[in-house]
Amino acid sequence: MPSPAAMSTPSTIAEQLAFDAKDVCVWYGEKQVLYNINLGVRPKSITAIIGPSGCGKSTFLRCLNRMHELVPSARMEGNITLFGDDLYAPTVDPAFVRRRVGMVFQKSNPFPTMSIQDNVVAGLRLNGIRDKAFLNEQMENSLRLAALWDEVKDDLHKPGVSLSGGQQQRLCIARAVAMQPEVLLMDEPCSALDPMATQKIEELMQEIKRNFTIVIVTHNMQQAARCSEQTAFLFMGKLIEMDTTEKIFGNPAEQQTEDYITGRFG
Amino acid sequence: MPQSHTLHNFDQALTNLRNTVLMMASLTERSLDNAMTGLFERDTHLCNVVIADDEEIDTLEKTVDKDGYDVLIRFQPVASDFRQVIATMKLSNNLERVGDAAVNIARRVKKLNAHPALPEVRVLEPMYAEAKAMLKDSLRAFTDGDMEIAMALKPRDKQLDRMNKDIADQLTDAMPKQPDQLRGYLNLLFVARALERVGDHATNIAEDAIFAKSAQDTRHLNPLKE
Amino acid sequence: MTTHSTVREWGDHHHARKRKSAFVSTVCVLSGVLVVTPLALVFIYLVIQGAASVNGDFFTQLPKPSGELGGGMANAIVGTFTLLAIASLIGVPIGIFGAVYLAEYGSPKLNWWIRFSSDILNGVPSIIWGIVIYGLMVVPMKGYSALAGGVALGCLMIPIILRTTEEVLLLVPQGYREAALALGIARWKVILQIVIKTASRGIITALLLAFARVAGETAPLLFTALGNNFWNRNLLQPISALPLQIYSFATSAFDDYHRQAWAGALVLVTFVFVLNISVRFLTREKA
Repeated sequence: MPSPAAMSTPSTIAEQLAFDAKDVCVWYGEKQVLYNINLGVRPKSITAIIGPSGCGKSTFLRCLNRMHELVPSARMEGNITLFGDDLYAPTVDPAFVRRRVGMVFQKSNPFPTMSIQDNVVAGLRLNGIRDKAFLNEQMENSLRLAALWDEVKDDLHKPGVSLSGGQQQRLCIARAVAMQPEVLLMDEPCSALDPMATQKIEELMQEIKRNFTIVIVTHNMQQAARCSEQTAFLFMGKLIEMDTTEKIFGNPAEQQTEDYITGRFG
Repeated sequence: MPQSHTLHNFDQALTNLRNTVLMMASLTERSLDNAMTGLFERDTHLCNVVIADDEEIDTLEKTVDKDGYDVLIRFQPVASDFRQVIATMKLSNNLERVGDAAVNIARRVKKLNAHPALPEVRVLEPMYAEAKAMLKDSLRAFTDGDMEIAMALKPRDKQLDRMNKDIADQLTDAMPKQPDQLRGYLNLLFVARALERVGDHATNIAEDAIFAKSAQDTRHLNPLKE
Repeated sequence: MTTHSTVREWGDHHHARKRKSAFVSTVCVLSGVLVVTPLALVFIYLVIQGAASVNGDFFTQLPKPSGELGGGMANAIVGTFTLLAIASLIGVPIGIFGAVYLAEYGSPKLNWWIRFSSDILNGVPSIIWGIVIYGLMVVPMKGYSALAGGVALGCLMIPIILRTTEEVLLLVPQGYREAALALGIARWKVILQIVIKTASRGIITALLLAFARVAGETAPLLFTALGNNFWNRNLLQPISALPLQIYSFATSAFDDYHRQAWAGALVLVTFVFVLNISVRFLTREKA
């Protein structure tokens, strides 16, 4: 059985992995939820993580920006590097990691007390950036990247929560990309949205992958097949297989993968 | 036997599709058989049966294609399921052409039967046996996923082509000796050619069977064209 | 199937059910009326007794010496606000920061103890606070003071603000905290700028409720602020407050003082009423 890590090594030695996870194990209290995950995420591409509920894919995603630490009983062993930098070195501030690695959540959550424009630059402003011109520029750029500018440019002062569900999610994406992160993590970003809104977000993912590396967790396999270049299949906390999306969905190497994607087990 | 799909409809749709194409396969084999029997036993009635049955074969081809589209649209199958559906639809196309070949043979045989028998007819027996076997084996490769049989079909096709060439030479030599039987010899030539086509189709079926099973595309691999 | 006969049975019991339903409805309506009636009666009675005396003088004049006609409770009104201000300096920070600790930090065990203590303190009769602050401040300082009164009221405020603010903070969806943290914002900033800001309306209502509760407390002030018939110029001196002044006037022998006590009572009840209405207004459902 070919090792999943081998599948994902870069084709040229010079291309550095966006994320290189080695032997990542995670426990919540006594319960182990991730077992020796070894995988690499290629830069400037979209990597999808699929698997049944409870397989640990969201947990793994949160390890990539140290958000799993919000749960007090969470413990991680192993190593994760971001373009070569160890994210878990003792001197590293988690807040700093999260400025380099942005995140969009399943349920859109624009800050309710802020207008649309304030929402977009909330991260910048609350991290100490005051330059109004820069903030305005970033706001417009981010809204354009999130394919939201044309829809809201005349309503920037309206509250962020006055938008529709799909627009709110794109606002959250704008807010995340305004920080100019190197990677954008997306945790089932479309699962609460209707098909039209989903398509708009999938389209914008294709646009922004030129600038950012994207890792998306999804339980919608067709979405993974449509959007991603690499797909990783997690099951019961273990990485079963990781390869190009065409291979995973066309002719996977592992029987377990085949059984999952063809719907032979839930 | 692989585990069945969680979605019962999906399993059923795939089974239906498979059964339809297998029914088409048996009809096609029978038509070929009837046509050649009509030749060897000078039975024109069988030839008419072949021509009549072709309508059903054509209808089944359309049914398989439609059912295949429906499975693709409704269930968006992936991996082996997807390859299986595509291979089934291609199989139906190939079978339809074999059916057409049988009809061609039947028409030629009717003409032949209208004239006195030609002794050279016997020459076609070995070639027919091989073509029939190839068709049967290619279908077995498809249903059983037997890769060994599938891989063997291409060399056998080359063999069949050679047999065709030999028969063509034989018949061409015989033509000047009996000029009033020219039409008859030409019809026999066409029958042989139709059998050679059956061999080609059997090879295509085998290639699709290989793809369905192992995702390998083995078409047009031989750089040496004859 | 016996559905046909069952439906007929239902029809037969229909009248009995209707009567039962009407009976219960009547009981509920009566109960509602029963609750509102005392409140209405109190208010109407106060209005009858005190409305005439609530005039410009009442709000601007000091109490006249024993028995003299006229005067007002200006110093008492100002005193109440002064005491509320001092109380806030103690009650608000401790209450809010305590609530932040409970909602955002803290270990489960410690939190349980904090909440438990807070609930007990909430139930302590307010006069106890008066006595405690008497021992802790009035005796060492050798005198009653506005400061002591404010501290007593502040201590009374703490559990109210703490628990209500904590509840309000817990209502802020976790998603906002996660989103803010995921932007790399420091935790304390997230709490201040996102969580508290989102809960600000709820926190203000918590404060208003605390004020409404504390503004009418008399017992703790008896041993700490004491009361004053004149303007308070020094926080280390006794100070007047509406409840104290009402008590003092109502128990006096003079009719004019009685009249003003009614006015004071009406003003105090109106003040509490207004605070509660503001809370309702602030927490209304946005259209």
